[in-house]
Amino acid sequence: MADQESGSGNEPLVTEPPAHTNGNGHRQGGPEQTAEFVAEWRNAAYNCFSSGHKFCREVCPVTQVTRNESWTPTAFHANVVAMEQGDMAIEDMAADYVNCTQCGACELRCPNTLFTGDFYRFRTKTVELVKAVRALAVDNDVHQPGWQRWNQLTDQRTHEPVLGEVPVDQEHVRDWADGLDIPIGGENILFVDCEAAFYRTSLPRAVAQILQTAGYEFGLMQEQWCCGGPAAEMGYVDQARRFAEHNLANWRASGAKRILVLDPHDYISFTEEYPKFFGDDYDIEIVLVVELFAELIREGRLTPSVPIERTVTYHDPCRLNKRKGIWSEPREILRAIPGLEFKDVDRVTQWSYCSGAGAGLIIEKPELTAAISGRRMDRAAELDVDTLVSACPWSERPLSEAGSERSIDVVDIHEILAESLDIEVGGRTST
Amino acid sequence: MTTTAPVSQVSDVVLEELVQVLGSDHVLTNVTDRYARTRVPAPFPVHRWRDYVPDLVVMPGSTEEVAEVVRVANRHRVPVVPRDGGTGLTDGARPERRGIVIDVKRMDQIEEIDLQNRTCTVGVGINMLKLNEVLAAHNLIYPDDPASYPCSLVGGRIGTSGWSLIGSRFGHTRDLVLSFDFVLPTGRVIRVGDGGPKTSKSSSGYQLKHLFMGHQGTLGVATRATLKLFPKPEAEFSPFWAFTDFDSAYRTVQALAHAGVATFAGAVLFDEEKVAYLRRDDEAYIPQPGDVRSLVCSVAYGNEDEVRAGAKRLMRIARDHGARYLGDEISEGDWAARHDRYATPLHGRTRANQVVPMSWHCEDAAINWTQLPRVRQEWHRIVARIRERFDAFDDWGMFFYTSASTGVDYLTEIDVGIWEQQLSDEMWEAWVEAKRDIAGVALDAGGSISACHGSCREGEVDLVPTELGGGYDVMLKVKRALDPNNIMNPGKYGLDRAYGPSGDGAGTSETGKEVS
Amino acid sequence: MVYRYDEQATPPEAEQVTDVAISRYEDVYEVDPGLMVEHVNQQTFPNWDTLRIIDSRHDHLQWMHDHWAHTVISGEEVLRSLDEEPGS
Repeated sequence: MADQESGSGNEPLVTEPPAHTNGNGHRQGGPEQTAEFVAEWRNAAYNCFSSGHKFCREVCPVTQVTRNESWTPTAFHANVVAMEQGDMAIEDMAADYVNCTQCGACELRCPNTLFTGDFYRFRTKTVELVKAVRALAVDNDVHQPGWQRWNQLTDQRTHEPVLGEVPVDQEHVRDWADGLDIPIGGENILFVDCEAAFYRTSLPRAVAQILQTAGYEFGLMQEQWCCGGPAAEMGYVDQARRFAEHNLANWRASGAKRILVLDPHDYISFTEEYPKFFGDDYDIEIVLVVELFAELIREGRLTPSVPIERTVTYHDPCRLNKRKGIWSEPREILRAIPGLEFKDVDRVTQWSYCSGAGAGLIIEKPELTAAISGRRMDRAAELDVDTLVSACPWSERPLSEAGSERSIDVVDIHEILAESLDIEVGGRTST
Repeated sequence: MTTTAPVSQVSDVVLEELVQVLGSDHVLTNVTDRYARTRVPAPFPVHRWRDYVPDLVVMPGSTEEVAEVVRVANRHRVPVVPRDGGTGLTDGARPERRGIVIDVKRMDQIEEIDLQNRTCTVGVGINMLKLNEVLAAHNLIYPDDPASYPCSLVGGRIGTSGWSLIGSRFGHTRDLVLSFDFVLPTGRVIRVGDGGPKTSKSSSGYQLKHLFMGHQGTLGVATRATLKLFPKPEAEFSPFWAFTDFDSAYRTVQALAHAGVATFAGAVLFDEEKVAYLRRDDEAYIPQPGDVRSLVCSVAYGNEDEVRAGAKRLMRIARDHGARYLGDEISEGDWAARHDRYATPLHGRTRANQVVPMSWHCEDAAINWTQLPRVRQEWHRIVARIRERFDAFDDWGMFFYTSASTGVDYLTEIDVGIWEQQLSDEMWEAWVEAKRDIAGVALDAGGSISACHGSCREGEVDLVPTELGGGYDVMLKVKRALDPNNIMNPGKYGLDRAYGPSGDGAGTSETGKEVS
Repeated sequence: MVYRYDEQATPPEAEQVTDVAISRYEDVYEVDPGLMVEHVNQQTFPNWDTLRIIDSRHDHLQWMHDHWAHTVISGEEVLRSLDEEPGS
């Protein structure tokens, strides 16, 4: 009876074949898979359903804007119980699970995590559940049109189609680094996610030049593919695994011992998805650039000295603050920058904040993302600031749009640090 | 793929009329929309979920839209069930006859903050914690503080006539809500309050406000409320004390309540079974020495100088009663946790001590202090009996909370874990019987079945006519007068009895037949 | 600050504190894993997750204090002032 619970946290080691695969090792839908899914998630689903507290509701960015109980974490868990009873099938449910940015507020705020999750080594895992249901939908050929297209294009181009109709591709993945003389390969590899590599090129340029200023040696991958995280978030698990396998092999081929990560979404992929795929074989170190920069400032290897005359507030990216408990280093960096007037909002209040861009929501429901970003920028506007600093490139696109309507600039923390280090960053912040 | 979910009984005609009123975006018919809005946190016969699933859901955005929906329901004799947070503990929002769930959460705007008269007017879909985050900028607070504070909503507080942990100082929901817009079961909209929208005490005409609070959605739907505001407290003081036995703790808690400290906001007594339960998984109590068997905590809010003065009195009283102060860290941490203290399911244990996820039954009788020991003994005995029969029940101990500043009565709580995954009809019937017995003990002790949740759950609801006596007949008359077609949350509180054997209106049952 | 899979996957040694609880981090408790073998199994729990929850809980409780009042009065201080009173 004591089977290890998988998916809900106790993933089987990579050496075992994944749930319900066909002869090629690919995931396969059908009633057996559904039965396995329900068996895997029933305790987690009952844990939520039978408590029914809904402490999650008011911190959920989607629920704050829509007030729709059908899209609350409680409903997401309840559906699994209903599925077990034969009252619901994946076709009935799939569309509801679009409405989630996987920000992690709910599962952190849930008393089953916050008060007893560490005690029992059993916490609420709404993010994993949403991913699992989305995967179940995909495996059973129930697709969201925007996501299906997005992931098909990503598969074709090995990068996400972040420039819309303008194609991205492997040939241009390092164009952001023009003129910076960054070598290929080495022990420290800087991984630049798709949004930064193709869209917000000022960000990786800022990071690369700050590293160079600090004398921190690093290189780029021989052949960087998308991390595969978005595919995993939207339910395209086979694709996520393929991309992860490619990237790990390429890191090794590049001589990498550690990967520097500038995007919180990649940080999640590399510290949560990749360990699930690779287990004990996963011997690569992952370093978040914003933590590294805070340390370099402490050590005196970086000294921001150019005053930046801005009144700023900081947006805690969901995938740093809520998902990982990383909130202090970005504030350290901002406090080290002269000239800034920093109006902070504490990290717990920010459990309720989100840009609305994550987990594919911006692709399938851009108007919902815009509403969530609008709400976030309303909070910033109340503080009477001219600038919002974020540490997540994916958040910066919708926040910039909402910010421009409120006369608030949206700046990435690496960019503002670079400016104070007297670096002429180059690149662009938007098309 | 065919499923066993119930098909909607609402006709296309009704559906179309609702879409006309609200737009199709706010009329929800999917199975997920309906299943999500069936239960509340109270233990639920999950194996019979489909018996309670509503036929469809509407999400109105204004009082007028609510009124229109209710008029449509009346025209077609379709039951409606108001639902706000869905965090109640007495099945008030659980549909008994399926029908249309009126989900009011969209109406969550803050319309006005009146700094001079210290009121605010809000849509009932707003949560108190979120409201208070806004009020903090004005150094004000709306101190309605249930254990569900971060997730319960103003409308539900009205529908249940909520109880607050700090009610001994600031009053409960009925004292804090000044007035509200209310849609009657016929669709007529009235303003309920003490005369004007911002008055706290009136003697003009019948005092209807209390009638329309605590009705569990059987008399209509509140949509918009005006609330009384207080200054945000300068200081908080929340000591926790340990005792070697229940009796000393029991005497101490009343001494604190009797002390007449103006900033006193409440006191809580933990019995020995509760402390034993906390030793299983509560970090504050796991390391406590074995002679810590019972606990009392208290809380005070107000201006710093006044709280300090009161604190000295309370600490001296406790010390003189043999209490051992548990220290600042536990006192502060455990009190802060009380603002969101719904039980977590993994507290459940089988008789073999294995962890299982259990739903939480929280009894909430109102009992005089003199009767607490007797109620305690009888309740533990009832739970022990059912636990002996079925491994799916667990006794999580008792709390006793002051409801008023004088210690006259205590919200008396026994927490029972129920392993819902195991439920069968036999076990559910045994539970309903135990529930009835638990409620019976409260009445024998001269108290009330419920201080705060309400009493429309299976088992306890059978004793409501006994508790109210002649008052129950008044309840029936009022229900019949206001809801001639029995469409407003029908089947709750046995109120079908109001409609006689002819079965007027929607979904009535035979007279005297118990509603389940 | 650096993420290493093997470090994260190795929880600190457990010390038995009561017959139903253990401790791996100072002043932090966990259920005895033997109580979660039959009906509900424990999840894979990397160390960063345990630490994140502990810190978040502490942050949340502090936030709750600040939400309700501007300052918290120390009971230990009050007790000391009682002890210092004449005739106490």
